[in-house]
Amino acid sequence: MGRLKNQLLARVFTAFPSLAARWGKSLVQHTGEIPWVEPLLPLTKARIALVTTGGVHLASQIPFDMSDSEGDASLREVAIDTPREELRITHDYYDHRDAENDLNLVFPVERLKELLQAGAIGSLHQVGFSIMGHIDGPHLATLQEQTAPLIARKMVAAGVNYALLVPA
Amino acid sequence: MGLVARAIEAAGIPTTSLSIVREVTEKTPPPRALYMRFPFGHALGEVGARNQQFDILLRAFELLFEAEEPGTIRDSGLRWKRESYPDPDFERFRRLGPVARKAHAD
Repeated sequence: MGRLKNQLLARVFTAFPSLAARWGKSLVQHTGEIPWVEPLLPLTKARIALVTTGGVHLASQIPFDMSDSEGDASLREVAIDTPREELRITHDYYDHRDAENDLNLVFPVERLKELLQAGAIGSLHQVGFSIMGHIDGPHLATLQEQTAPLIARKMVAAGVNYALLVPA
Repeated sequence: MGLVARAIEAAGIPTTSLSIVREVTEKTPPPRALYMRFPFGHALGEVGARNQQFDILLRAFELLFEAEEPGTIRDSGLRWKRESYPDPDFERFRRLGPVARKAHAD
């Protein structure tokens, strides 16, 4: 029943962006220095990695935990060549009916592959990094101290040059 | 998402992020964010709108190279379902790279 309520609320928030704006204003302000690295490679030479907060995962992976109202800060690694029928979205806090029909709305792998074929980007990291938004309470610390640095380390190890992050 | 972008950038990898709720992005700004006032779950736009999706990716990668300071939130100005999008111009993508910065006066 709780999940159904969340899913209905997500549809309302999706239909009325002003509600989302009001919710945003209520969030805690994160201060602190924002890191900055100058991009030095042309796009045609760069290896790009993709991050989504859309709750995308493989059918064979454990879904994101919808029983915890404060979210799930764990990571799912999704090979970008995974056939569409093996991908799922588990995320009750946005209306993902459209994203189910066109995963590029939250996980634009097909467009990035076309850019690769067109010679517009150098290469694509073969693994997409997927988390879910709507992370709150104690899970914020998990995201900040564990999951986010883990994604960063994996990107460094893979020789990624630039990262594209897509929210849901 | 801002927290993840910050961690990646802190590890030495420049990031570019999409944003669909400016008020949320302002609470945890990533290094660079391209804002569209689009509904949740539609950061790249509408279902099957390939031209729109490429347009947003082009803007995101332009921002990667053009932003000059951390916490930049660039308003795309795009209105939901009220724009027309041209066929993708891959040559514009291929021209993207580091831009010369204006020299700072001493």
